[in-house]
Amino acid sequence: MMGWRAPIDRVVWGDPRRRARKLLQFAEVEAQGARDLFRTAEITRDPLLRRRLFAHGRDEVRHAALFRERGLALRRTLADPGPDSALGDGLIPGERGFDRLKVEKESMVALLAFIHLSERAAAHAFAAYGAALDHDPETQAVIARIARDEEGHMRYSLDELARLAPDRRRRAVWVARLRRLWRAYLRLALILADMISRAILTLLYFLLLPPFAWMAKRAARREAAGWHTCTDQSRDDGGGQY
Amino acid sequence: MKILGISAFYHDAAAALTIDGLPVAAVQEERLSRSKNDPAFPLRAIEWCLDQAAVEPEDLDAVIFYERPALKFDRVLTTLLRGFPHSWRIFPKAMKNMVGEKLWVRGIISAQLGIPVKRVHFTDHHLSHAAAAFLTAPTERAAILSADGVGEWATLTVGQARKQTGGSTEISLRREVRFPHSLGLFYSAFTAWLGFQVNEGEYKVMGLAAYGTPRFAGEVRRILQRTPDGAFALDLRYFDYHQAVDAAYSRRFVELFGPPRDRFEPIDLATPLGQHQADVAASAQLVLEEVIVDIAAALQRETGLADLCLGGGVALNGVANARILREAGYERIFVPSAPGDAGCALGAALWADRILFGQPHRDCADHPFWGPAVEPGDLAQLAAEDGLPFERVGDAALIDRMVDAIGHGAIVGWMEGAAEFGPRALGHRSILADPGDAAMRDRINRDIKFRESFRPFAPVVPAEHAATYFELPAGGARLGRFMSGVFPVRPEWRNRLRAVTHVDGTARVQIVEPAMAPRLHALLIAYGRRYGVPVLLNTSFNLAGDPIVTSAAEGYSTFRRAGMDLLVADNLMVRREHIRQDHKLEAVA
Repeated sequence: MMGWRAPIDRVVWGDPRRRARKLLQFAEVEAQGARDLFRTAEITRDPLLRRRLFAHGRDEVRHAALFRERGLALRRTLADPGPDSALGDGLIPGERGFDRLKVEKESMVALLAFIHLSERAAAHAFAAYGAALDHDPETQAVIARIARDEEGHMRYSLDELARLAPDRRRRAVWVARLRRLWRAYLRLALILADMISRAILTLLYFLLLPPFAWMAKRAARREAAGWHTCTDQSRDDGGGQY
Repeated sequence: MKILGISAFYHDAAAALTIDGLPVAAVQEERLSRSKNDPAFPLRAIEWCLDQAAVEPEDLDAVIFYERPALKFDRVLTTLLRGFPHSWRIFPKAMKNMVGEKLWVRGIISAQLGIPVKRVHFTDHHLSHAAAAFLTAPTERAAILSADGVGEWATLTVGQARKQTGGSTEISLRREVRFPHSLGLFYSAFTAWLGFQVNEGEYKVMGLAAYGTPRFAGEVRRILQRTPDGAFALDLRYFDYHQAVDAAYSRRFVELFGPPRDRFEPIDLATPLGQHQADVAASAQLVLEEVIVDIAAALQRETGLADLCLGGGVALNGVANARILREAGYERIFVPSAPGDAGCALGAALWADRILFGQPHRDCADHPFWGPAVEPGDLAQLAAEDGLPFERVGDAALIDRMVDAIGHGAIVGWMEGAAEFGPRALGHRSILADPGDAAMRDRINRDIKFRESFRPFAPVVPAEHAATYFELPAGGARLGRFMSGVFPVRPEWRNRLRAVTHVDGTARVQIVEPAMAPRLHALLIAYGRRYGVPVLLNTSFNLAGDPIVTSAAEGYSTFRRAGMDLLVADNLMVRREHIRQDHKLEAVA
């Protein structure tokens, strides 16, 4: 199913710098996922679900530690670990965990559907990464161990969904799927918008600002360092933004 | 008058409500959104404040924002122009940031609250800091000093203020140091160089400094120079925050102090590299202290006032605060519980009441407990559902059991009444433990707070016993009220207070008066009676990366995750049963 991306995975996971960076990013994603799960546990009124969410959150904390430990071990073998992050965060949907989930704004059914799909995407992604890591058995073992847990999380979240909303289970999963697609589209649109706005603003910077920059620099040269007298607040009417 | 103060869009957003000149509610957005240092428009905090006082938005006489967005935009744009052409990378980001949201605060407030724009007002950033420090302090006349990263243009202001109960109020800021020369940003550059998060890791620099020797003080003085008029100026060749997207310091800074710390690697103080980092931290701390003590002393000579009100993020530096108290000539120093930007929400609201609308001054209650209250009933329900033993007990029995448990090595999550306003746990959302056991410090660092081993824990002590255990200068008790000063632990007690004594023999002590936190005070006294030392380790009730807990559910969650032994919410006690609980968790995993 994920055969098309095997060559990409081999390239990404074949490079030790990227591999270390990815593992450390995963550690942060898992740690944030744990916070989201604990938060979900704090607001749910269902005791059984709460216990399961706690257990899941603890798993994510453990995963974060495993990823971090392995990422750091790899990083220490590198002469130059490079920058902390690639362009943007460089994460694909299966690697995003719960993707800045707004826990309080969602129904528990929607949250469970979202958790289920996120875990499923992660399980698939980790299975693919495991296949591309034959040359690094230690990282492969870490990923295989976590992938097994993700499958367990996938199952329990679906079981809980069935328990809490037996009639709406399918619908909830489909809605969550569509929302994930929408998020992916939004993310892409935002990246594009960001690139376009950057280009336009950079162009404006070099076209429009030079004369004003010259004046500002000239004024700055006249400004002495040290104390300045504060503006007279007695005439302040409190209304102004200036 | 009903006035809502708001701070937002930089870091640590907050809302505060005053009615007829007195605070009735104040809370940081992070405590409700559960996102650490949440800078977003504090809608949850506003809703909570209004609900707390049963006030509808349309009942508000005024809403006041803690700074002037257009003036801030003026500073951002001017800085970018001055940095041309090196500022080209930061320009798009800064413009999107300002024009996208921060410039339209009046409209955002009006739209979110559904109130007319004419009810939305603004004040100066440093005036908000000054008001937060002075108008909540029990003094009628004081010198004012506020210092932080940057507000609109000012980064440090000095002045003086006076007020009289039932009478008028005057806050006069006389002089300011302007961006890019900033003590806060100077310290943040070292924070970033040491691999800590800016606006969050400054505490760590202060903690690390105690392990070092200030052998780079000469170099640091070269980049933070004094001006002939008694102010200071940064040598901007060593900094990059005014023209780079992602760096606070420049290549020249790195040439001077060496490569920045790899944030993924822990600081190992046993290695030359770790010691070098500690030495740089010590040097930055020393020079910061020299400058701020000197400015404070000059202000004292100029005003002749006995009291000083300190505000701004730099006022969170307890070591510097204690030096000001010892050396600058003041009898008392007042630092509010929230001296940073969150506290500006309350400062702006009080400023609007007293000065903008000319209302007579009323003395504010001298405590930090303006946040949401804990509901013990919620905790009882959670514990019952999870099969954990809990019981409701009277004050005397609760204190007796707490003393017994802590004395036997228990770590206690302690929630009482309304949450603190500000970054510190002052006895209403605290983790309490035995202060005498160094292994306890290591256990809390490793298993509960998951933080660097070099960071110290704070002690809490009753006011009447503070001087027995700590070397307090005159006025030290006041500075310790909201944990704003670092003082030496008396040598003869350092061994008995190992878990809360830092490597340099000091502690950031909280000094409790019975009127402010009667139950915590009673607990300390009872602990002292039983074990000889009325001191407890007091650290904030949260895990690394999380905001301090607010509700019973959050306290319960943290208690479960952190492996604490006992959880208390008002008069309800929940005990942990390790074997049974772990078994139950495994069964559902």
